[in-house]
Amino acid sequence: MRRRVVITGIGSVTPLGHSAEKTFAAAIEGQCGIDYISRFDAKTFQTTFAAEVKDFALKNWLPYTHERYAKSGENTRYGLAAAQEALHDAGLLDSTGHDRTRFGVYLGSGEGAEDFYSLIDSIGRAADESGYRVNSAKFGSTGNSLFDAKREAEFEMHTTAGHLAEEFDLCGPNFTCLTACAASAQAIGEATAFIRHGDAEVMLAGGAHSMIHPLGVTGFNRLTALSTRNNAPKKASRPFDLDRDGFVLGEGAGMVILEELEHAKKRGARIYAELTGYGTTGDAYRMTDPHPEGRGAVKAMQDALKDARLTPEDIGYINAHGTSTAANDECETAGIKGALGAFAYKIPVSSSKSMLGHLIAAGGAVELIISIQAMLRNTLPPTINYETPDPKCDLDYVPNAAREKSGIRNVLSNSFGFGGQNITLIASKL
Amino acid sequence: MSLQPDMPASPRRAVFTSLGVISPVGDTPTFWANLLAGTPGVRAVRAFDPSALPCRIAGETLEPFDAKKYIPSSNKDGRKSLKNMAKTVQLGLCGAQLAMDDGGPAKGTIDPFRFGIEFGCVMVASELEDLSAAAKHTITADSRKIDMAKWGHEGVEKITPLWMLKYLPNMPACHTSIFFDSQGPNNTITAGDVASTLALGEAFRLLQRDAADYFLVGGCDSKINPLSFTRNNLFVPFTRNNDHPATAVRPFDKDRDGTALGEAAALFGLEDLEHAKKRGAKVYAELAGFASGFDRGRKGPILAGVIRNALKEAGITPADVDHVNTSAGGLPELDAFEARAIHEVFGTVTPVYALKGQIGNTGAASGAIELAASILALKHGQLPGTVNHAATSADCPVTVHVGEPRPVTKPYAVKINYTDLGQCAVAVVKKFE
Repeated sequence: MRRRVVITGIGSVTPLGHSAEKTFAAAIEGQCGIDYISRFDAKTFQTTFAAEVKDFALKNWLPYTHERYAKSGENTRYGLAAAQEALHDAGLLDSTGHDRTRFGVYLGSGEGAEDFYSLIDSIGRAADESGYRVNSAKFGSTGNSLFDAKREAEFEMHTTAGHLAEEFDLCGPNFTCLTACAASAQAIGEATAFIRHGDAEVMLAGGAHSMIHPLGVTGFNRLTALSTRNNAPKKASRPFDLDRDGFVLGEGAGMVILEELEHAKKRGARIYAELTGYGTTGDAYRMTDPHPEGRGAVKAMQDALKDARLTPEDIGYINAHGTSTAANDECETAGIKGALGAFAYKIPVSSSKSMLGHLIAAGGAVELIISIQAMLRNTLPPTINYETPDPKCDLDYVPNAAREKSGIRNVLSNSFGFGGQNITLIASKL
Repeated sequence: MSLQPDMPASPRRAVFTSLGVISPVGDTPTFWANLLAGTPGVRAVRAFDPSALPCRIAGETLEPFDAKKYIPSSNKDGRKSLKNMAKTVQLGLCGAQLAMDDGGPAKGTIDPFRFGIEFGCVMVASELEDLSAAAKHTITADSRKIDMAKWGHEGVEKITPLWMLKYLPNMPACHTSIFFDSQGPNNTITAGDVASTLALGEAFRLLQRDAADYFLVGGCDSKINPLSFTRNNLFVPFTRNNDHPATAVRPFDKDRDGTALGEAAALFGLEDLEHAKKRGAKVYAELAGFASGFDRGRKGPILAGVIRNALKEAGITPADVDHVNTSAGGLPELDAFEARAIHEVFGTVTPVYALKGQIGNTGAASGAIELAASILALKHGQLPGTVNHAATSADCPVTVHVGEPRPVTKPYAVKINYTDLGQCAVAVVKKFE
């Protein structure tokens, strides 16, 4: 018998709410978390809006230690909050009685907060008249005086998982991956595999990320990846709709507690679902464009089904990657059909990104949590802003309003990333 | 639902079947010759003018790095794509090319879905020139005050369209997958200085659970650029011995005063043993054990436990280990932390070796390039001496192997890596017979 892995705690901080519960409640109401950017002055950018986490104060989760993280990036601060929620939810905040070396962390998380103003000032002052040559000594001198040492240290990518381990005394395997928009789903998949293999009994797994900063929006705008529907931000994320014009940046964190089944039973833990299936492939195609037939996506979904010992008919709901870009939604639709065959038309598929925006590295974890909640509450979150069907996207996208559906035994969640990363997770009722 | 075992009845074994190294002391095989000779790799920085910074030395690649020379001229698209890659990304791709040239499976001889990739890498710093036109245009007379209206309106357009993609940490894995048509599991571990050892461990687990037959696994990192170097100077305890770069980084030494950065790529072919046998691949060594953990507060006992777990998976005791290949980089606190953990498991009997004194801390590449030293030591039967270790520090209770290469007398080597926060990983490798 292979070791079975169940989910015993969930936590989220998203543009729709400061907990997994609030996020799901808002999602089934079809609320939209997108609005004009308040974090910096983005009025003249090609894209002026994003899905920000609103009114966040870490002290609401960590009343005694939040000040330690004052110079950490949003990734770490959201991650700590979502982790606290998930650990509390699982009854694992108190470390007494547990072997903490068997309790690890696996995050798909991003970098800390880029100090945009000091960086651009230091570069600008060191540039010559043409603007295309920079005096590195002058840059070093200005940067050395403008940058804040602590804040720069917090930019490093291992700090989020490190702080979670320090804060909550988690001394097992500690991994961080960043496979773009697939990262936290991949983290959950690999963490599950570690528990199955015996490398840990419990893993805090998920993701945390924010790219809602000037260079994040600049970079995605240059790639023409973002929606520019500046006159109607709440209508901008419209996955699978014919008039979609790009994704909407979001931010936040999602964390799950993965636990070996017997370990969970022994301590009488509440079990949300079993993580039964994980598939991971690479497109080996292009930097940003997905393979047109969804070659790698098909294989990831097939592998996840095989891992879960399920067939397409067993899947009751698909939470799509559904970014609202022209290429993703078309290729993902092709991929779902390629993997699930004719039955694909009978499975409801929705994209939470229509409401949440795209949480980048954190997206997969938050969307897996929503998928599990949908299965347990018999309610599927909608794809909002679905107005004009795209002939190339012809599945049942749960348009615009949540739907009751009972008897779902298994849900499938896709996450794909720049670089050709394809991740599929399947969660099942125990 | 029927449940099958996650592990096959007879566990699949993983062997190293190819190797590609780009380092401050040369590429393979020069790398190995220079390890045996103790050739210094840390020098005054030549890539840019570091004169304003407290630490001005680093381990840059022996020859100025030129990615084109690694990519066959027949691969025109591949060469063209180099312009969209920062140096770190190019290093990773070129390291992968070297590994593939060293007996990797040729296209068409392996199912692309059974060919995986695992890189250790971190977010790459922007080249200043990519942002300088926009920056110059939008700074104001006030410090740190950028004209955001101007930035959004006119600045953004001055930045190259693919700017972001030059720097993402998963781009080495992305380009490598495109080059060699690897469509299997593909991950990039971004856990700082422990990243490539964690990547190796994850690839090991993926091979064991039959998710692939062959992996390109390793790491790449170069922080020797103005932005990374300036930032790291603010928070990394670097040596101040700028006048004597060759002897500045002193692992476990009583006079150690900090580390220096290095740049490198090291990639391995890690392969299921039966698959390797079937295609007649040469074998460098076997990966016999892996474990990881988090030593909260960097005290030592948890790292010691991780070492024991890795030995346990390999089915061996400390007495079977020829040498411990450490992560020590001349840091006052961390060298002592590692020494305490090693002492707890090995006492002072097993010789320890450290490469960072010779090439600096190569960050996300360090685990892989340091492991390459042990794999070559097991293969060639000689362990190079640790450089820059004269007198062992009282707080480092270990026996450091220094001086002339010593014969390898036992079949196993242990590789340790960790971060400044306490993430740690240990790999056990075995001489292949």
